Amino acid sequence: MSGAARYTGTRVQRIEDPRLLQGYGTFVDDIVRPGMLHVCFVRSPIARARLGAIDASAALALPGVHAVLTAADINPGVYEQWYSMMGKDVPDTPRPPLAVGEVRFVGDPVALVVADNRYLAEDAADLVVVDYDPLPPVVDYVTAQESDALVHDAYAANVAGSLGAAVSDELASVFASAAHHVQVPIYQQAYAPVPMETRGMVAEWVGDELTVWAATQAPHEVRMFLARLLGIGEHQIRAIMRDTGGGFGQKVVPMREEMCIGLAAMKLRACLKWIEDRRENLVAAGMSRHEHGDAQFAFDADGRIVGAHIDHVQDVGAYPTPWPVGTAAAVGMLFPGPYRVPAAGWRTTSVFSNTSGRSAYRGPWQFESVAREVLLDIAARRMAIDPVELRRRNLLRRDEFPCSNANGMPYSDVTPTETFEQALSILDYEQFRKEQEQARAAGRYLGVGTCTYLEPTTAAMPYYGTEGATIRVEPSGKVNVYLAGGSTGNSLETAAVQLTADALGVDIADVRTIQGDTAVTPFGGGTGGSRSGSMIAGAVGETAAIIRERIVSIAAEMMEAAVDDIELAGSRAFVRGSPTDTVSLADIADVAYFQPFKRPAGLPAGLEASARYQAQSMMLWANATHVCTCEVDITTGAVTLLRYIVSEDCGPMINPTVVEGQIAGGTVQGIGGVLFEHLAYDDDGNPLTTTFMDYLLPTATDVPAIEYGHVETPAPGPGGFKGVGEGGAIGAPPAVINAVADALSSFGVEITRLPLTPARIVDLIESAQK
Amino acid sequence: MQREVEMTVNGTARRNTIEPRLTLADFLRERCGLTGTHLGCEHGVCGACTVLLDGEAVRSCLVFAVQADGREVTTIEGLSAPDGGLSQVQEAFRENHGLQCGFCTPGFVVSVTALLRDNPHPSDEQIRAGLSGNLCRCTGYQGIIAAVRAASDAEH
Amino acid sequence: MKPTAFDYHAPATTAEAVSLLAQHGDGAKVLAGGQSLVPLLALRLTSFDHLIDLGGISELQGIDASNGSVRIGAMTTQAAIERSVEVASALPLLARATPFIGHFQIRNRGTIGGSLAHADPAAEYPAVALTLDAELEIVSPQGTRTVPASQFFTGLWSTELEEDNVLTAVKLPRWSGRCGFAIEEFARRHGDFAIAGATVAVELDGDDHVRRCHIGLLGLGATPERATEAEAALMNAHVDAVDAGEIGRLAMEPLESVPSDLHGSADYRRRVGAAVVERAWRTASKEARGAA
Repeated sequence: MSGAARYTGTRVQRIEDPRLLQGYGTFVDDIVRPGMLHVCFVRSPIARARLGAIDASAALALPGVHAVLTAADINPGVYEQWYSMMGKDVPDTPRPPLAVGEVRFVGDPVALVVADNRYLAEDAADLVVVDYDPLPPVVDYVTAQESDALVHDAYAANVAGSLGAAVSDELASVFASAAHHVQVPIYQQAYAPVPMETRGMVAEWVGDELTVWAATQAPHEVRMFLARLLGIGEHQIRAIMRDTGGGFGQKVVPMREEMCIGLAAMKLRACLKWIEDRRENLVAAGMSRHEHGDAQFAFDADGRIVGAHIDHVQDVGAYPTPWPVGTAAAVGMLFPGPYRVPAAGWRTTSVFSNTSGRSAYRGPWQFESVAREVLLDIAARRMAIDPVELRRRNLLRRDEFPCSNANGMPYSDVTPTETFEQALSILDYEQFRKEQEQARAAGRYLGVGTCTYLEPTTAAMPYYGTEGATIRVEPSGKVNVYLAGGSTGNSLETAAVQLTADALGVDIADVRTIQGDTAVTPFGGGTGGSRSGSMIAGAVGETAAIIRERIVSIAAEMMEAAVDDIELAGSRAFVRGSPTDTVSLADIADVAYFQPFKRPAGLPAGLEASARYQAQSMMLWANATHVCTCEVDITTGAVTLLRYIVSEDCGPMINPTVVEGQIAGGTVQGIGGVLFEHLAYDDDGNPLTTTFMDYLLPTATDVPAIEYGHVETPAPGPGGFKGVGEGGAIGAPPAVINAVADALSSFGVEITRLPLTPARIVDLIESAQK
Repeated sequence: MQREVEMTVNGTARRNTIEPRLTLADFLRERCGLTGTHLGCEHGVCGACTVLLDGEAVRSCLVFAVQADGREVTTIEGLSAPDGGLSQVQEAFRENHGLQCGFCTPGFVVSVTALLRDNPHPSDEQIRAGLSGNLCRCTGYQGIIAAVRAASDAEH
Repeated sequence: MKPTAFDYHAPATTAEAVSLLAQHGDGAKVLAGGQSLVPLLALRLTSFDHLIDLGGISELQGIDASNGSVRIGAMTTQAAIERSVEVASALPLLARATPFIGHFQIRNRGTIGGSLAHADPAAEYPAVALTLDAELEIVSPQGTRTVPASQFFTGLWSTELEEDNVLTAVKLPRWSGRCGFAIEEFARRHGDFAIAGATVAVELDGDDHVRRCHIGLLGLGATPERATEAEAALMNAHVDAVDAGEIGRLAMEPLESVPSDLHGSADYRRRVGAAVVERAWRTASKEARGAA
């Protein structure tokens, strides 16, 4: 039995805001513990070398330095190391805490200094002398498979793994016999999530227990992972997160540094704090998006797609986290996107390089949309069909769902055509084309680009498939809802409170939530895969139903009414049709806790319940269309984004403001990824963008106002809610690339390589003009 | 070499003996227990550490605490309304979803408070330029720009 | 990212500052606004045993516009210059260049002296100083000397300042008559260092011929540059007869050390450089034309 929606679906102001606005948030660097010591890593300055002797004597001689630990000290402490979301049976890639034998990228942690404060720890780190015997690095993953050098000895040709297959004979003949066959190699540069809060952890070992404060998206995984790692019981560890400053995938699992902190805290029987600095974050927290694909589509004479294939290769760096091979399969599987594609194939290969390891980033498979949508625009131009028209001929329509794509992905409950048309109508596409023509006559270059995509949210794979909640109506009638959480900005506290208030008919001011503490909150997989909205709704729904039944029973008893006639609203119970018959939830709670004789016979005491929701669908499909217009200054290559429109369908929305905020954030990350951000290396494997002076994030002057359209198609599942957190980062890059390409189409420019810096745009124009 | 410093922080005198290299940001966070000022980059680009030094918005990671000797510092904690509630700028951020994770937020609130104090009715362009020294990764700036506009409109 | 340890000095007079610098030699560094130095210290790209903070020396502050030249104390902040009504009227080029410097929080601390002494070739103030033929006042243990801007910038991040020198003030001449001033800059984002920029000051005679034109370039060499060939081509030319694109091209031609990096090749910078010169010329000459 669900509650009437009074808060769900409305723009409730966030309950997280007051503390965050006033500076009372608790981020991991705000944690201060008695006797806490500070950690700084000594990191390799060279991309690849044999790791020789480490002389810490000068460092240890500094007053205030407590220890310098190396692989010999802590690596043997590892019992098991694997991620719950992957399971222990995947052919995981190497993940030593500290480097041993060889350093494999600039930034590879070699030693760990423990000192009274971070200033001293950095002084000491500078004094640690490490013997490096340089080896030729594998810097470019594109050629790594042909390299003589191996990043990891056990992986021939530097291949971490491969799935799928090259173009089959059948597909090849589809391509060969098609009226149009478009094959384009598309390359995307490395960039990274770059949350404003870097990684960090406080690990306190006392007695035989470890307490960890973490900047994380999943406190329960921090606990489970560390328990396995250290060979101690899960119940000997408490993991806490209160506020985490952005994750976007980079904080979804503990990485090597967190392993080191856990091992070191246990070994030293100490409380250790490690807060990553920004240079470390850009050099060693991982990179994403670095990949290319040989993308092919074939069309009949009318521009209808007859086949598609992508041969995808991704850079996984030296130490990817988590196992990258399986997640890359999504690139291949989703490549056909929301289009009618009768025949398709895919292959993905993950390749090591002596650079920062690949880590998850918002929509980790988004290359499928980059490759497909960019290719569709190129194909459209080559076939002299308007890119919008080409899409109209091929987008799957409402009446064609549910269906499986040619790779077996089961699409359902999605509206690609509807979001496409809505976004174009918000733009007034015809009007834009007229403006574009006028502008071109006046020597100005405007362009429009679109991207329509589908994304699987709320994947119900084992680790993510359930979510638990505990709800307590306290003796005074106030309500607390306990959830694993894992919010790194995704407003899960507000969502939880909205949902709970509605489920129990309670005033929102009477509900609070406690999240992110494994000692207190039930197990949950954390945030990731755009799962939290649906899963929290499920967990709250299941749990609240139990309590609601009890509330209603007690109220019926108190007011001598039938259970079916009881309504709950505004923290009160009412008898339907008799508005003066009412009792407060406070009164009901008093009975539940303290007055056994007023309870219905057989009803348990108290108003507290725990339940666990099991997701029923393998995934909940969401979709959106992004439309972007821009102007390109052909002299300087500068791109100005004019309008940006997102028509999204994430089903009914728990909180429209939160939905729009998620889309906006992801979109601007996508814009950054196309126009500004680049984790670059030189030919020797030295990172070139190690500070915010070189790694450029978009600022308020770089982004247009984002306009939203909403389509609401419920998914099967609680409330019909779908996930929405990742979509912006999937839809934006192709829309921006296509807009620039459209602006430059009169030069015959085809864009297949990123990033689109002003200098590169000028190169494209100059090359096309030759 | 240690030096004694005394400065006023949010109206309260704070005296401490410190190393000259201790940044003002770290002084506030560690010696004053005011952890609302955040470290996002420590090289003067992200703006998460913004505080008011004698009323001017500055990056506290680029000021040494010894340089603030005898000065007045206002941090995010000092901007709340006298009754402990939200200031007008803070309220505008809340009403316009100008924050998600909250890590960059104190820096923005301090910067915007200074901006609107000195230019109460900024144009759209001035708003964006004024915000360009603070980085946010969650909001895409949409809610922040709306918050500044709302706060400046509210001044009417 | 924490700096290495240093001793901190806060002298009250220029003489004291100079004496401390002389005493500690290359182990000492002047601390002005800190917006350029402190990041380098935090990243441990550089370190010093002694920092000499000039922030407490009141004689280094202030804007004196009472003469034909405007004298600005080295420790005057960019924000103070931005607010200054006198600068806006007497040195329009300086006033217009100032908002391009970083962000307002940077300008609240950054100083004109610090910017000139740091001598980043992509910074605005060095180019403006060079364009206006500023004079830089320097105090050393030997006394005071004045160095023209044309001699001050000696190489990448290098100036005429010795280890024991303090830059105390900069004097910028006013331009009178039918003048126009413009700065055009192309950067990756608002407030970033210029990929290429141009600062133009032009004076026309009563018949719209160029009486003099100074063109400064930023981001196009190891130091700020003057586009002397372009300037020569403009001398006595009638404004209508000037091919602005040609001026841009001429400004780029003699350049020998145009940088090449992640943001663009030397050729790209020349292309953009020519465009910003052209645009700045157009704006400045239009203003001069409109002037009484």
